[in-house]
Amino acid sequence: MTTLTLARPRTRPLISWRVRKLLIGYSYLVPAAFCLLATVVVPIILAIRMSLYADVLYKPQDYRFIGLGNYLRLIEDPVFWLSLRNSVVWVFGSVILQFVFGFAAALLLQQAFRGRALVRTLTLLPWIIPGVVVGLIWEWLYQPNYGVINDLLIRLGLMSERIAWLSSPDLAMAAVVFTNVWRGIPFFAIMLLAGLQAVPDELYEAAHVDGAGVFSRFWHITLPLLRPIIVVATATRIIWTFNYADLIFVMTGGGPANATQITSSYTLLQAYSSLDFGYAAALSVVLLVVMLAFTWAYLRVTKGVEETE
Amino acid sequence: MKRRARKDIAERLLAGPVVWIGLVLLTAFALGPFIWMLLTSLKDRQELYATPLQYLPVHPTFQNYVEAWTSPVTPFSRFFLNSLWVCSVTMVATTVVSVLAGYAIARFRFAGRDALLLIFLATQMFPSVLLIAPLLTQWRALGLIDTYQALIYSNFSFTVPFTVWMMVGYFSSIPRDLEESAMIDGCNHFGALCRIVLPLAAPGIAATAIFAFVVSWSELLFAISFTTETSMRTLSAGLLYMVGQYEVQWGQLSAGVILSTVPVAVLFTFLQRHLIHGLTAGAVKG
Amino acid sequence: MDEGASLSRRKLLHALGATGVIAAADLAWWDEPLIFPRRAWGAEPVRFQWSVPEPTRIALMNSLAERFNQSQKDFAVAIEYVPQAQARQKLISAITGGSPPDLCQAWDNWIGQFNGMGAVEDITARAKAWKYYADVAPTAWQTVTINDKIISLPLSVTLDGIYYRTDRLKELGLKAPTPDWTWDEFLALAKAFTKADKNQYGFGMRGSGTWALLYPSEYCYANGAEVLKDGKVAINSQEAIDALEWYLDLALKHKVTPPSAATDGFVEIVETFGRGVTSMYQHNSGSSGQQKKNVGAENFATLPVPIGPAKKRASFWFSETLTMFKGAKNKEGAWQFMSFMLDDEPSQKYCSTLGLLPARKSLLDRPEFAGDPALAGFVQSFPIGIVSPYLAYPGWGGRIDSDGVPLIQQAMLGKISAKDCLDRFAEILKKEMS
Repeated sequence: MTTLTLARPRTRPLISWRVRKLLIGYSYLVPAAFCLLATVVVPIILAIRMSLYADVLYKPQDYRFIGLGNYLRLIEDPVFWLSLRNSVVWVFGSVILQFVFGFAAALLLQQAFRGRALVRTLTLLPWIIPGVVVGLIWEWLYQPNYGVINDLLIRLGLMSERIAWLSSPDLAMAAVVFTNVWRGIPFFAIMLLAGLQAVPDELYEAAHVDGAGVFSRFWHITLPLLRPIIVVATATRIIWTFNYADLIFVMTGGGPANATQITSSYTLLQAYSSLDFGYAAALSVVLLVVMLAFTWAYLRVTKGVEETE
Repeated sequence: MKRRARKDIAERLLAGPVVWIGLVLLTAFALGPFIWMLLTSLKDRQELYATPLQYLPVHPTFQNYVEAWTSPVTPFSRFFLNSLWVCSVTMVATTVVSVLAGYAIARFRFAGRDALLLIFLATQMFPSVLLIAPLLTQWRALGLIDTYQALIYSNFSFTVPFTVWMMVGYFSSIPRDLEESAMIDGCNHFGALCRIVLPLAAPGIAATAIFAFVVSWSELLFAISFTTETSMRTLSAGLLYMVGQYEVQWGQLSAGVILSTVPVAVLFTFLQRHLIHGLTAGAVKG
Repeated sequence: MDEGASLSRRKLLHALGATGVIAAADLAWWDEPLIFPRRAWGAEPVRFQWSVPEPTRIALMNSLAERFNQSQKDFAVAIEYVPQAQARQKLISAITGGSPPDLCQAWDNWIGQFNGMGAVEDITARAKAWKYYADVAPTAWQTVTINDKIISLPLSVTLDGIYYRTDRLKELGLKAPTPDWTWDEFLALAKAFTKADKNQYGFGMRGSGTWALLYPSEYCYANGAEVLKDGKVAINSQEAIDALEWYLDLALKHKVTPPSAATDGFVEIVETFGRGVTSMYQHNSGSSGQQKKNVGAENFATLPVPIGPAKKRASFWFSETLTMFKGAKNKEGAWQFMSFMLDDEPSQKYCSTLGLLPARKSLLDRPEFAGDPALAGFVQSFPIGIVSPYLAYPGWGGRIDSDGVPLIQQAMLGKISAKDCLDRFAEILKKEMS
């Protein structure tokens, strides 16, 4: 029987609260668990099963159990390893920049100034558009011959030649990361702003009176109190970005020559172009395992969401 | 009573010009492409294709907006209402579910808590594209194709995990003593949740609610996969109708983008003002 | 907060009806205002997925479906429009989920895979008994026949040609090319068109999408190479390598292509031509309607692809098909609609509105197709049209997208040689021949 320990004052007289607390606690979780079971858990289990078979849709006669065959093929697939490297660059490049700039934005938006509500709303805008449309728009902006970015930079004299941002293997990843950062800053800005708003002013006042300067207050009050939210926001964002292939699919198609091919876009390609669902399922499972391992390690290192003092 | 202490130089500097420069840069960066979209949406075809690139429309026209909104073949007004309904319901339901679940995970210590958190997140580690086929079968079997329910339930698959995590984070940053003192005064957990924790976590809840709304507003794949009739499509799917086989209709796409961002902006402003004030009204800070 | 909830669907439809706005005014051919095709009472529904939903096509298909629904009482077509980036995906999901639509509009290179999945209905018997069977060009039938089974009806056909700017030609005082032009003449023209400092380039090369590989394949054919020779993969023969080197030199040596070539898909090559950045590009007749709007009908013309050193040339046929699924619930209704779409008036309306070529020879002879200068290059290409050799094996289509295109992109960027590219591509093709 699992034990449930709660911090509660000892002076309270209680009668068989243990079982009741357990049930109440779990009952809070039931709606959430049910949503997930129905929509996600079952398909994931099915996909794990699918990865153990040779499942190429247009060769139904070859359908058979091959155990770890897909996984062995994966290990020897150079594009897979390349995509894994690209994924790391994609994820960490995007999230770190999003976090830094998002945090800066949140701090700015916390200040009192006129029109603050409007600016906060404006900061939210990049997030509202569907990823596919963001990809289309930015692909248009990046277009070397008639895109605004090249045009502006040349007119402002910062550039003399047109750069093909998305067609050059060296710049393509940087370009899509930049777009992803544009899109992702609002997430951190809003989340961290909410966290900042929950910090009581009295703490700052008291520290100020004690002679702490701005940076010291930030380091000793703001950051520790915000830590659970920072950890949660970055963890969820990392997971999300790992799986986020929309921008890349639309803007570069994984190219040029696989320079921006991340594992999740490679999975999509295998599933819907090559119709090799067995292999695609194996890729997804590997990605799942990688992300689970990473998240577990990440939570350990940042000491999870344990409460702050 | 607040005592005003003197500000040091660093503080004055940061509060003044740095903030202003920062805000200007932030707004310019976020808004840049939108301004371009706005200008594009006001241009007619000739100006759109002019070389060299034309920035300001010489003859601004609202034709793109009119066509987008009233076209019977791509009824934006209809798409808009579909999106509004689906996303509102998703937002409300997700917030309720995640507040409960988040509170339980943040406050109750039980075995397998960390594993549960990880599982919640793990469901997000799977490409949603591969979920389509089994989900399609499921909805079809339940007769839910071309209904709002299929979209709403499918949206849960990605809003609930993240919002639960978010709420765990926000609840964890609220010190327990407040609830404990409330419970000493005689209320149970649920009462403490409502009276003490919710007001303090109000900004977090608002942020999570807007998150759920925005994420489902921009959701595309499920909307296309689980609906067949044009009348049931959402705004995101509607925007893609502007992508033709050989050209993207930039004028109308831009108009559609502007049209689809306005309501979310309005909702966000509303949430900021009223939801937070509503939740915090009557709360007593310790 | 829930403003949407206060407006019921019924109220909304009333409001829409009241505004009565009709966008498809130029389709006054059908007099009735339409919002969605109405269903006759008691008619069996036919589910039809349409994969290129842009406003013109939607209006067009809606009127055609309406006409069909009204011309008979047994069947009612309901069209589902899916944005094209998701269309194939949705079809595949529907097929694997066991509930495909009755009918879909799809391109011939999708059909091979669907057929391999066992999802497509064999309509050989129906097609042969159809009154227009003999009127459809044999090559058109070839694009939809696999192993002697006819599996689709070709809705429209097209093949590749070269678009070029006639006004630029006059501006620069250049001699107009003839339909029998050679590679050298092509290169000379491309060079003459190229003025990099003015952001003008001679040829909009395509680097993204399946056809990024198919266009250079056509040039390989012009040099005497073939994809399959005696049943064996021969795409890496010396002739093919030489041809590909010539093709790549357009980008690498002569620099007549814009810098974005390696990731330009069909939208980009159409748009860059439309904006005057490129003065030539290779494509099928489908974008001719677009270019009439972009540059003006009098400012461009089309030609067949140039003749190669081996005194040969080839252009791959490409058809847009109507395909019935084996899992369809209403096969008779689907067939009725398919044959309706290829009747005189619907077929002509469809093709002329969109700048496509009808599959039926008798319609092709009509002045709006045979006499249109923008379509001249394609009509002249008919004698050199061959069915795309890449349709031979169902596995090839996907491999071209996932593995072949990155190879040609690398070659276009000069990272691998033409020989290397073709050798590796040949390996990929060989593996998928089982």
